[in-house]
Amino acid sequence: MPREIITLQVGQCGNQIGMEFWKQLCLEHGISKDGILEDFATQGGDRKDVFFYQADDQHYVPRALLMDLEPRVINGIQNGEYRNLYNHENVFLSDHGGGAGNNWASGYHQGEQVQEDIMDMIDREADGSDSLEGFVLCHSIAGGTGSGMGSYLLETLNDRYSKKLVQTYSVFPNQMETSDVVVQPYNSLLTLKRLTLNADCVVVLDNTALNRIAVERLHLSNPTFAQTNSLVSTVMSASTTTLRYPGYMNNDLVGLLASLIPTPRCHFLMTGYTPLTVERQTKNIMVSSYARTKEASQAKYISILNIIQGEVDPTQVHESLQRIRERKLVNFIEWGPASIQVALSRKSPYVQTAHRVSGLMLASHTSIRHLFSKCLSQYEKLRKKQAFLDNYRKFPMFADNDLSEFDESREIIESLVDEYKACESPDYIKWGMEDPDSILTGEGSATGALDPKLST
Amino acid sequence: MLMVGYLMYMAIRVMGVLLVSKDPENFREIAFREFGGLLKEESEVNEGVLVRDVLYACQGIDGKCVKFDKSLDGYVVLDSVKVPRATRIMVRKLCELGWLFKKVKGYVSESMDKFPAEEVGTVGQAFCAALQDELSEYYKLLAVLEAQSMNPIPMVSEVVSSGNYLSLRRLSVWFAEPTVKMRLMAVLVDSCKVMKGGAMAGAIHHHAQHGDSLVQEFMRRLLRRVCSPLFEMVRSWVLEGELDDIYAEFFVLGQPVKAESLWRDGYRLHSGMLPSFISQSLAQRILRTGKSINFLRVCCEDQGWADAAVEAAAAAGTTTRRGGLGYGETDALETLVMEAAKRIDKHLLDVMYKQYKFREHCLTIKRYLLLGQGDFVQYLMDIVGPELSEPANTLSSFKLAGLLESAVRSSNAQYDDPNMLDRLRVKMMPHGTGDRGWDVFSLEYDAGVPLNTVFTESVMARYLRIFNFLWKLRRVEHNLIGAWKTMKPNRITSHFLTKQEGAVKLQFISTLRRCQVLWVEMNHFVSNLQYYIMFEVLEVSWANFVDEMEAAKDLDDLLAAHDKYLLSIVEKSLLGERSHSLFKTLFVLFDLILQFRSHADRLYEGIHELQARSKSKLKSSNESSEAGSWVSGGRKALTQRAAEFLRDIREDLEAVAKEYSSSLEGFIAQLPMQQHVDLKFLLFRLDFTEFYTRLRLNK
Repeated sequence: MPREIITLQVGQCGNQIGMEFWKQLCLEHGISKDGILEDFATQGGDRKDVFFYQADDQHYVPRALLMDLEPRVINGIQNGEYRNLYNHENVFLSDHGGGAGNNWASGYHQGEQVQEDIMDMIDREADGSDSLEGFVLCHSIAGGTGSGMGSYLLETLNDRYSKKLVQTYSVFPNQMETSDVVVQPYNSLLTLKRLTLNADCVVVLDNTALNRIAVERLHLSNPTFAQTNSLVSTVMSASTTTLRYPGYMNNDLVGLLASLIPTPRCHFLMTGYTPLTVERQTKNIMVSSYARTKEASQAKYISILNIIQGEVDPTQVHESLQRIRERKLVNFIEWGPASIQVALSRKSPYVQTAHRVSGLMLASHTSIRHLFSKCLSQYEKLRKKQAFLDNYRKFPMFADNDLSEFDESREIIESLVDEYKACESPDYIKWGMEDPDSILTGEGSATGALDPKLST
Repeated sequence: MLMVGYLMYMAIRVMGVLLVSKDPENFREIAFREFGGLLKEESEVNEGVLVRDVLYACQGIDGKCVKFDKSLDGYVVLDSVKVPRATRIMVRKLCELGWLFKKVKGYVSESMDKFPAEEVGTVGQAFCAALQDELSEYYKLLAVLEAQSMNPIPMVSEVVSSGNYLSLRRLSVWFAEPTVKMRLMAVLVDSCKVMKGGAMAGAIHHHAQHGDSLVQEFMRRLLRRVCSPLFEMVRSWVLEGELDDIYAEFFVLGQPVKAESLWRDGYRLHSGMLPSFISQSLAQRILRTGKSINFLRVCCEDQGWADAAVEAAAAAGTTTRRGGLGYGETDALETLVMEAAKRIDKHLLDVMYKQYKFREHCLTIKRYLLLGQGDFVQYLMDIVGPELSEPANTLSSFKLAGLLESAVRSSNAQYDDPNMLDRLRVKMMPHGTGDRGWDVFSLEYDAGVPLNTVFTESVMARYLRIFNFLWKLRRVEHNLIGAWKTMKPNRITSHFLTKQEGAVKLQFISTLRRCQVLWVEMNHFVSNLQYYIMFEVLEVSWANFVDEMEAAKDLDDLLAAHDKYLLSIVEKSLLGERSHSLFKTLFVLFDLILQFRSHADRLYEGIHELQARSKSKLKSSNESSEAGSWVSGGRKALTQRAAEFLRDIREDLEAVAKEYSSSLEGFIAQLPMQQHVDLKFLLFRLDFTEFYTRLRLNK
């Protein structure tokens, strides 16, 4: 009963990230490109069966599903070095191979149509696990397949495996550059709705911030996609180390996430990675560029988890915690108790790194709402012009000019932003209750006549 | 009359001397002759007879004129014999030697007679033998003297032809040294006759502290003899582990015990038998070295110690054969003991570490009994959890053992040494009425011989207490995670009813929020307690233990290090005596959290049901639905029911919350009060954002 986790990689970006992730896991567990356990990988202590299953004594296969609507990336994988690693039955490519054309609605619709094939794959993989912990979805929210088909998958998983965890690694578009995908704001908004309602945890991989880290921390002047992707895979593998190297605490995903996500709605996590110590790390957090504005001073941490890999003296940990506390380096929410959690994890003995210790920080920080606000404002701009909506109307969800899906999504994201904002105030507990007219989605239809006494 | 005569004699003598130089007319001779006549007149017996009698007396035999007088407790000239008072006194003085001799001789022969009896022992024997030797010297002297006493004592006036005659006066010179020795011996006999073994050697040693070099020399000779059996015992004890001590003379006492308590209770120091020239620390070392050998032999079935012993003896420059060490060579003894101790202790530790894998066992215990192997603990909790909710008396330990095994098989524990895993067992504690499985379930670890010397029953009982605490903590944590799972973000229940109307919606939101916020508080507490336990308690204690383990020079050090490790965990986990009230509060908090879990479950189940009803209602709005109690009254009734349900739950939650905050406040307030254990890190973690400080200030 290894609490298996099934990885779903959807779309171009999702598969690229996923590929890097598996590369990293193979390295860390001493598994060759063909899935064979290396001779040197005899030191036990790691738990491979969370992410891999054993086809036979020596052969490890990733619990991964590769899906795309166009063949380029997946073909690349299937012809690449790691072609023998994956289970070929776990690859889904649409028959026509024409992709989703950067259109969320197309991705979603195609997902719906191939639902059976995909769900068969997922069910088969799920049946092959003893005690499935949940799913991890890798995708980008801007394009067509990752966002649209990803959204569809999220809804379906939520419905079908409602008791399982659904975590996503969602790549957010680079906000600084103008995107080549003009409808990106639409796609983002529609995906965000699913991320809000149907996922348990969203690790926000903000391309902007990833680039900045690559430039500022890793001193890469012009980070390539491969470099930022490997940064992502590092983050992904680091955030799962405690699952793969069991210790006293944090041995399952749900335990890890539960403490990170005390408020169900606010389940968007930011990450920071540094080959340094805890203290440096809190300063190095990978926050979106918006966090630097004045408003950011109001921003607060809802939760922080540091996963430190390597040899760390526990006493060092509390010393740096103490320093952080004394100097008030971190602002926490005021409506409840909170603290920095530190998980110590072993480091893979097979991977040599320049740094003795490296750390990953996962945090829920209210400044993330600026990212959503930005998405909203970009959407508003586009929507006002009624631009590019025809592409969406072609698909059933938006047929007959029914754009209510957009409105609903907008409302949900707005309420999400509000909730994050409310978290910054000490009165979060009362939030949403003081004024019935302006709460959450604000759509109370006020038809039911109720005894006012009941509301006390 | 007699007195006057004596005085006259003195006066004459003085005058005579004075006169000598001024007496050319042979006045001196005349005076001597007169003096001789006077002497003869005064005593009936001749001096020679007295001398012989004194010699007899000095062999403990009554003579003609000198006999033992019981009332005076000494040899005296018979009253009937007329001798000058001076002579009488002199005889009496000389005969002190006889009295002393009698005492010594009496002791020696008494001991020799008694010999196989326990109260003499080998040291006593050696003492007697040494005394006997001294007495032989003494006999020789007496023989010589006796021969001399045959020569007649010349008259004062006679020209001395041969010097080899014996007068009382000459005897007193002869006797001077023997008397000192004999007196010493008598004193020793007196003070030692009730003692034996080491105590005796100690007592003799005590008398050897003397400024007189004659005495010192004598005592050294004596002690060398006396101590030799004792030193032999030490030698065979530290090199062979043999307790050659049938007369209970040695300062190490053995007693028959079970193998597991051999180290702790098998041997001890008998301070009464510890001679003062062996220091306490040396004695401890001696004790431990022999004990180590026995421990190796009995508990570890090890032979390798013999090599270590030979090496030690070689290094100390002694042989492993008998005899070779004696009193006065305490340095040599100490070197031998040191060398032996060093090697034997090292060998023992090597055996413990390498052959019996002490460290690995400690680690295994840490991983299983102290829940360090997280994945294993998790599976175990998953699979035994449902069982343990049953009443304790319905549990089958056989079944639980099976579950334990499958937890091992499905976690990384499977890669562990099977030999160690076999030692891990389920233990059911005695249960009372109403106990659930949770109250009685625990794990135990049987380290086996010889490690059960470290992991004794009382040590394992402490591990058990720690396990129970950690297990409970883990169970509470497990429950909180379970609660989170029911309210996790993508559960539809989280956003249901937000589409409902007005008051119910508010009520719904506020109840959910209350539930979540309470969860946040509880989870914060539990997870920080866990972090504290892991970092501050288990890991830190373990790190210290490992350091001390490496520094340990002998098994006692190792035992002490392990005890310290365990104690530090017990104290820091608030399991100590002095943290009792704190611990009680903690368990109240735990129970409240478990209560919270059931309320939260009820809340979400209720919502779920409501949701299902309202859905089915929407679907079958016009069909005559079967009269489900929730639906039958239509939408309005449904809302009302929802409101009632939420109100009930809300009340329950509030009750838990209220009790929880007051208990928690009490807990936090008590933390700084704990003087004996440093809990500031726990406090610091719990109040990291000063949330509780603010809460208190706002009150």
